[in-house]
Amino acid sequence: MPAEVKQEQSPGNATSLAMMQEPQEPQEVVEETVTIEEDPGTPTSHVSVVTSDDGTTRRTETKVTKMVKTVTTRTVRQVPLGPDGLPLPEGSSPLSSYTDSIDRRYMKNGGERFITPQATSTLTRAYNNSYNDSYVETPESQYIRHYGLHDGYADLTDNYGSLSRGVNFRPPRYPYMPNSYRPENSYTLPIRKDDYGHVAQPQVPMGSSTVDLNRSQPERFQPEPYGLEDDRRSLGPEEEEPYELEPDYSTANRRILPGTNRGRTHREPLRDVHRVRGYPDDPIEAELIDERHPYIHGMYSAPLAQPERGSMASLDRMAGRRSPSIDSIRKDPRWRDPDLPEVIAMLGHPIDPVKSNAAAYLQHLCYENDKIKKDVRQLKGIPVLVSLLDHPKSEVHRKACGALRNISYGKDNENKVAIKNCDGIPALIRLLRKTNDMEVRELITGTLWNLSSYEPLKMVIINHGLQTMTNEVIIPHSGWEHEPNEDSKPRDAEWTTVFKNTSGCLRNVSSDGAEARRRLRECDGLVDALLHALQSAVGKKDMDNKSVENCVCIMRNLSYHVHKEVPGAERFQDPSALQAPGSAGPQRKKKDDAGCFGGKKAKEEWFNQGRKNGENDKNYDTLDLPKRTEPSKGFELLYQPEVVRLYLSLLTESQNYNTLEAAAGALQNLSAGQWTWSNYIRATVRKEKGLPILVELLRSDSDKVVRAVAIALRNLSIDRRNKDLIGSYAMRDLVSNLPSGQQRPAKNLEEDTVVAILNTIHEIVTDSSENARSLIQAQAIEKLVAINRTSQSARETKAASHVLQTVWSYKELRNALTKDGWNKSHFQPTVTATPKATKNGKPGYDDTTLPLMEKNQDGYSTIDQRDKDCKYKTDDGSADLTEREPLKNDTNRKHYIRSNRPAVSLVDACDVKPQPVDSWV
Amino acid sequence: QRIEIQKLRQGENLILGFSIGGGIDQDPGQNPFSEDKSDKGIYVTRITPGGPAEDADLRIGDKIMQVNGWDMTMVTHDQARKKLTKKNEDVVRLLITRKSLEEA
Repeated sequence: MPAEVKQEQSPGNATSLAMMQEPQEPQEVVEETVTIEEDPGTPTSHVSVVTSDDGTTRRTETKVTKMVKTVTTRTVRQVPLGPDGLPLPEGSSPLSSYTDSIDRRYMKNGGERFITPQATSTLTRAYNNSYNDSYVETPESQYIRHYGLHDGYADLTDNYGSLSRGVNFRPPRYPYMPNSYRPENSYTLPIRKDDYGHVAQPQVPMGSSTVDLNRSQPERFQPEPYGLEDDRRSLGPEEEEPYELEPDYSTANRRILPGTNRGRTHREPLRDVHRVRGYPDDPIEAELIDERHPYIHGMYSAPLAQPERGSMASLDRMAGRRSPSIDSIRKDPRWRDPDLPEVIAMLGHPIDPVKSNAAAYLQHLCYENDKIKKDVRQLKGIPVLVSLLDHPKSEVHRKACGALRNISYGKDNENKVAIKNCDGIPALIRLLRKTNDMEVRELITGTLWNLSSYEPLKMVIINHGLQTMTNEVIIPHSGWEHEPNEDSKPRDAEWTTVFKNTSGCLRNVSSDGAEARRRLRECDGLVDALLHALQSAVGKKDMDNKSVENCVCIMRNLSYHVHKEVPGAERFQDPSALQAPGSAGPQRKKKDDAGCFGGKKAKEEWFNQGRKNGENDKNYDTLDLPKRTEPSKGFELLYQPEVVRLYLSLLTESQNYNTLEAAAGALQNLSAGQWTWSNYIRATVRKEKGLPILVELLRSDSDKVVRAVAIALRNLSIDRRNKDLIGSYAMRDLVSNLPSGQQRPAKNLEEDTVVAILNTIHEIVTDSSENARSLIQAQAIEKLVAINRTSQSARETKAASHVLQTVWSYKELRNALTKDGWNKSHFQPTVTATPKATKNGKPGYDDTTLPLMEKNQDGYSTIDQRDKDCKYKTDDGSADLTEREPLKNDTNRKHYIRSNRPAVSLVDACDVKPQPVDSWV
Repeated sequence: QRIEIQKLRQGENLILGFSIGGGIDQDPGQNPFSEDKSDKGIYVTRITPGGPAEDADLRIGDKIMQVNGWDMTMVTHDQARKKLTKKNEDVVRLLITRKSLEEA
């Protein structure tokens, strides 16, 4: 079961990956990554079952074994009882047949039922226990034992057992207890045939789980006469009794198994039977419950059966003798997997272990099975599970949470909505506040992560859980402290699963537009804690993990449009309103003139640059950060120049493409816009020697990193000095990323990336004939002309033609160009090309801005709207948005892929976009 | 149709002057040249003007069936790229199909 859970989470991871690109992306993906490893669905599943399950699985297994042992001991005692001499072989043979069928099934079904092995084991246990107990003790005792004996995993197994008990157990009692039990017996009896099939079924799924199951079974049965007997009994009674079905058993089982898929089909037939016989599931359950209650309570307090057993044993024998012949036999066969309505009904069972087992079983069933998830939803199981979240017993709310996590995973957003509609989100948050159990917290945050991948739920999560998640998880795990003590040294962030899940959730919700960003920015301590965590990651050189990725993505999202959305931003809008340049901030102002690229004479250049940044430029050579009397906190930290170094460290050190992209994207967002802080940021990037780092990343193999870096450079070149530096030092790398030409680019870049690079080049050469010259020297003209002429992409064509027009507009360069064999026609939009481009361009493009490099102050107007948006000021916001959106889509795509295929390949899927790849040869 | 391309030596690289798209690891739905959108074959996506591929009359949209006898219809993008870019071979022989040829 736990394995399942994890898997589910892993999907979440995948989403997070997707999110990585843009914080907005759904987190579910993130979890997926994890799942991949664990996915039982894969052929490897058998092996994986054991391995895959992390601690949990193992536990389960061990417990199972224990269980088995206990059983055996009991059986031994009973053995004397068992002496019935019922032919073991019979019992065994049926089993074997089952297993066989199971295996087949297994093959067909694939890994889903990994857990099954456990289940089988449990079933057997249940058998043993029930038999023993029932015989020896009262049915009640059985209950007690089961519950008491099994823990966590055991529970799962128990689940099966318990379930079966719920349904089946009673019958065994009958013989002993003539009283109320009988009615139950009657119920169970009809079921039996089904049960038989059931028995087989559970095994089947379990059998599929494989070796373990088989082993466990043989062990139990063989060594233990009891088990054998049971089987026999069932067989015998069946034959003898009205159950004409018995003979069918074998066939029936097979039918079922081979028949439709998995358990469902089986179950369904079973259900029908029940109905026919007049068993309404619910009523039965209710009855059972009623009857049980008294027992249960009494039983609960009762010590384990073992001591009692001794005495009981004799009883058992007695009972066994009788019962075997009659009822007991039949009862045994009854074991089966409960069908879905039964499981859901059991969620409301008065006995807590039954609830938790039912929930755990549900979790198992839902793993990687969208159909079952849907069925659970339609059977109204989700509200019940949600209500169990408030259950005081940790076992119960843990299992319920696990089931919810699996249900919430996947592309079926209906399930997520269903959880939300029954107030599942506040319930999860409540539980998060209440529990200290790490596992439960992981489950909760994993569920929230899954939920957060669905747009309409993001705001709900923010409304209910933002501050709680921040206070309960982000802040404690980030190591950040509101008011650091002098004694306590700063703590490092802990990259726990809980932190990863929570940051993934926040990453997803942070993409939900301006309001979401505002809420997150204003969430007390969130930004501070995330920054602290990132700084700690940089300090420890541990920057490739998912948590860091999530944090950076959140930061990137929160940085988006910060210049428009932050309270008080207006004050900074007018560059002339800069706060008086005062003493240098913490930044090393003194060095400021040492440009990263080996400065030219800064001042002259600054002053030369005129227009675009006219007003701003004045400030640059003396650029100083505004004085701050008190340390900034909260959202102010987002755009303090200090963060530049953090992002640059990440860009330098991280190997995680998503982190790289997000860090570049954060710089891109921060350097966009016209407010004071973006000016500071642009200057700080230069002073922190960030430009070479960014240029270096233009050589990255990752398309999206290149794109984010290119756009960041474009925004940074709003700063005149940056523009010059970038023009001289980055041109070659930019050009080498362009397709076509005789040079074969090392990588295949997407259209978006090519366009981004072209637009960056355009920005750099605009208003700078120097840069245009270096563009020519980089032998870009050939590529540009080729793109302009032959590219399949209208957008690429258009962007290239803009650059060419700009270059041609420098009359002083025409001479050189002509020498190289170019003429005006090369620089004009080809008659066919440009118009085509516009037509083909995405609808809604504003073409009026297209042509020519007007010397607008912005100069941006010449760029495509989209590009404009991305890069610049006014449109920055929208631009970023456009960028994000594509990312989102990507994430979603990935997400889907993952959810569909549990395969290992999913992990890679995160990074591998479906984009068409194009290689020059 | 068989096409022989003499690779052009440029610096350290031998180049053919065209680019390929597709492969079994790529999304076939995004291949603008294939008729069947589930076709995961390797297609010629771009051709450098004046390059060896153009000289050899390779066209955009050609589907590459074989490279030097190697099947290219069930390979990953990268495998195809490697087959085309072996440095120890100066000539690449392609077997391609082209819509216009099929129709003719």
